[in-house]
Amino acid sequence: MRLAKHLRPLIFLTPPFTLIAVFVIYPILATFYFSFYDKNSGLLNLNNYREVLLSTNPLNMIIARSFSYIPPWGALFHNLVWIALHVPIVTFLGLIIAYLLKYHVRGGTIIKAMLFLGIVIPPAVGGLIIRFMFEANIGVIPLIFSYLGVESLSKTWVARPQTALLALILGSVWLWLGFSVTIFSAAMETIPRSHIEAARVFGASTWRIFYSVVTPQLKPAIIVVIVMTLLWDLKIFDVVYASTGGGPGGSTSVLALVMYNYFARGLDYYKSAAVAIILTLLVLPLIILIIRRERV
Amino acid sequence: MKSAFLRLDRITKRFRNVVAVDNVSLDVGKGEFIVLLGPSGCGKTTTLRIIAGLEIPDEGRVYIDGIDVTDLEPGDRDVAMVFQDYALYPHMSVFDNIAFPLVVRRSKLRLGKKDIEGKVLKVARMLGIDGLLDRKPTQLSGGQQQRVALARALVREPKVWLMDEPLSNLDALIRVQVRAELKKLQKDLGITTVYVTHDQIEALTLADRIAVMNKGRVLQVGSPKEVYEDPEHVFVATFIGSPPMNILECEATKETLECPGFSKPLPPDTVNLQGKLYIGIRPEHIEIVSGSINEDVVRAKVYVVEPLGAEYIVNVMVGGEIVKVKTSKELPLNPGDTTYLRINWNKVTIFDPETGRFIGKLLDVNTP
Amino acid sequence: MKRNLISKRAIRTLALNVVVWLFALAWILPFIGLITVSILPYREVIVKGWFRVPDLNSLTLNNYVEALRNPLYDLATSYRNSLIVASLSSIIPVIAAALAAYAFTNLDFRLKALLFATILFIMMVPQQLTVVPLFLLYRNLGLYDTFQGIILLHSAWGIAWVTFFLRNYFKFIPKSLVEAARVDGASEITIFYRVILPLSIPALIAALIMQFTWVWNDLFYALVFLASGDKQVITQKVVMLKGEYHVDWGLLTAGSIISMSTPLILYMVFNKYFMRGVAAWGVKR
Repeated sequence: MRLAKHLRPLIFLTPPFTLIAVFVIYPILATFYFSFYDKNSGLLNLNNYREVLLSTNPLNMIIARSFSYIPPWGALFHNLVWIALHVPIVTFLGLIIAYLLKYHVRGGTIIKAMLFLGIVIPPAVGGLIIRFMFEANIGVIPLIFSYLGVESLSKTWVARPQTALLALILGSVWLWLGFSVTIFSAAMETIPRSHIEAARVFGASTWRIFYSVVTPQLKPAIIVVIVMTLLWDLKIFDVVYASTGGGPGGSTSVLALVMYNYFARGLDYYKSAAVAIILTLLVLPLIILIIRRERV
Repeated sequence: MKSAFLRLDRITKRFRNVVAVDNVSLDVGKGEFIVLLGPSGCGKTTTLRIIAGLEIPDEGRVYIDGIDVTDLEPGDRDVAMVFQDYALYPHMSVFDNIAFPLVVRRSKLRLGKKDIEGKVLKVARMLGIDGLLDRKPTQLSGGQQQRVALARALVREPKVWLMDEPLSNLDALIRVQVRAELKKLQKDLGITTVYVTHDQIEALTLADRIAVMNKGRVLQVGSPKEVYEDPEHVFVATFIGSPPMNILECEATKETLECPGFSKPLPPDTVNLQGKLYIGIRPEHIEIVSGSINEDVVRAKVYVVEPLGAEYIVNVMVGGEIVKVKTSKELPLNPGDTTYLRINWNKVTIFDPETGRFIGKLLDVNTP
Repeated sequence: MKRNLISKRAIRTLALNVVVWLFALAWILPFIGLITVSILPYREVIVKGWFRVPDLNSLTLNNYVEALRNPLYDLATSYRNSLIVASLSSIIPVIAAALAAYAFTNLDFRLKALLFATILFIMMVPQQLTVVPLFLLYRNLGLYDTFQGIILLHSAWGIAWVTFFLRNYFKFIPKSLVEAARVDGASEITIFYRVILPLSIPALIAALIMQFTWVWNDLFYALVFLASGDKQVITQKVVMLKGEYHVDWGLLTAGSIISMSTPLILYMVFNKYFMRGVAAWGVKR
């Protein structure tokens, strides 16, 4: 007995979308509602948002009141600084390395595989490894600096507010580089060899070829890397939780962690919902961008 | 009006702003091999897909064996289709590919495993591929894949056989061979067939009737002989025939026909002609003669000669226009030479420049 | 003159190779450190450091045994838990997503654009957005601190990206195959499992592996929804190995390696699938 034509998609769509409706859509809508629920008055207002954004507790702080050279600056700024450093480094470094691996260096596959390990491991373990890297007497970085005689940088980076955030950001470059290199490598495969060879015949230098021939053709891939990295940096949680838990003194706090703290430590579900919404609002422009680009 | 086995009744199909199929009506008799012929984008494939049920027309109805199938699923119309890329399932063996239409409706048709096997073998033998049944499609040559596609279309013994440029992916040599076999197969089995192609030679050799299409419309339906000798539209005239019919823009006054490079006095009893006209002459209806004694002859300058083995295509310039002449005579002509043409005015066709439609044929003019 | 140019180029290529390889080796130095510290007694590492060739006599697997067996840490149980949760949380979404992807690729329906936008939306949205109401709901339904609860959540979450991924793959299957099957009378479900699925096996495997890895690596949902020691997964437990003030790096590195082992093994075996899956983001169809 054949099902009517317009009902046929239902067989395919009902199982997946039922799960999605119950476990994703409903919670998202409910979180939205919760974020406005003022548990003191039982009304719907913006109190949660106000309190969350104006909090001065360094462990919960989203925007700091006063700024110095040293964090904490508030979770929002920590995320932004993260993006400001992480995205460009991962993009440029990724391009250069992908380029070198493709055209100039042997054994690119092995190197790519090694770099990619950062993506494969649990980010939580990544956080532990980052801490390991920056730990006094054991970590690679402090050891290098102690050989170089820089005293202040050979202590445990994650234990000092001046260096903790930087350590995590650099560590996240270490984790994430494999992603950008893989994507750029794949995109470079689509560049016809003849373009490169023609440029060589015209006498272009390696750097020139990289700059004028390869990079422009990689624009879509570059956009993908930037957007994906941006999203990752805004949503980052595991790495921070596992390595510093937001400390010391809130100097590595990030938005997702603030949300978690309100939820798990403060048991304030409504404030944590508000933070979740704030986080989503930051991510929203990127989501809209991506949805626009994709069409069914 | 005899009832047609397959009937298209005023079919129209639009895609956004484009009218792909424009008010097309067609009657196909049982067992007939009809070819939809035309350039890319003329609507022939869309028309075929409408018959198959893969597209729903915006207007019009489709009838197969008396039944209105316009609202029926493709699978319920009892038609079979051969796709341009053969659409063979790469993960299944040849046997499974051919058996697929039967397996899928096994319960409907009440077929046991043995029945299916029997039918597949029968069809495979008919097409000479019974030795390939265990192979996968990717292991076959283009010609073999095509036969598998044909076999799959035949195994159900459908009412109508639909083919979308099935030979276009084959090498030229194999194509000619398969063409002949296909024609014989269709005649032997007597299945009503609708065949789509842009290749006019294929159409001329295979069809019982040809429907020439352009820009979504059917311009003429007729036997190969009819569309060749009596084209009803200038498009049909120039599309069919290789090399194409020469078309000259001429102007008719009361007594003369003024054409680029020459003029022809019109005898008093010719059809009434006025104003601008398209004059169509096929290359084989022009002769190259020597001397200009006879006023019936047109002076021309040789542009280039294309040898085709048994024939020659002589391209000449007449009044600034290139005219092609087909001849089997080997003539000592070089580019730039002056030569003379004799036109067989019996065979000349006249078309209306506005609509493209056929107006008439010029009657015989006395030749000395 | 020409000879000079050639050797100049050769030298430069050699230099680049050396630089890049040194870079790569420096890049995996943390892993080397991780392994080394995990097989040495920590007391020794504090005194002598690890960046040296280890004294073969002091090599020990004690850290691993401690991490796995000691009921305080209990990585063995959590390893098993991760295995259960990740396996089920990959199979369910891949099947469900295949169905959805088929509909998006081969069927027409009115809400297509909206539903697809929903999929994309879910893919990008942070996990944090769904946990609070679900936590409360789970507590009421008795799904809190259960495997079923977290598996359902991971599955629903995974359906979104797997649908996107599979749909991009399905698009490459020639439409004529589907149309031929329709003309032959096959129902859509038949076409789905007889034509599309068999031709998508590489993509299905890639999706399974990537989803498994994602669930295995998850920490956030585990923290929220799994509370008791016998249910917690390995990512949670490993982080708990880190003491508040004193860190036993021998233990921590061993635990890290244990928890990384499964994704690493998958990665080594199915390397091709991983790379292709990620690379697909960079190359537009």
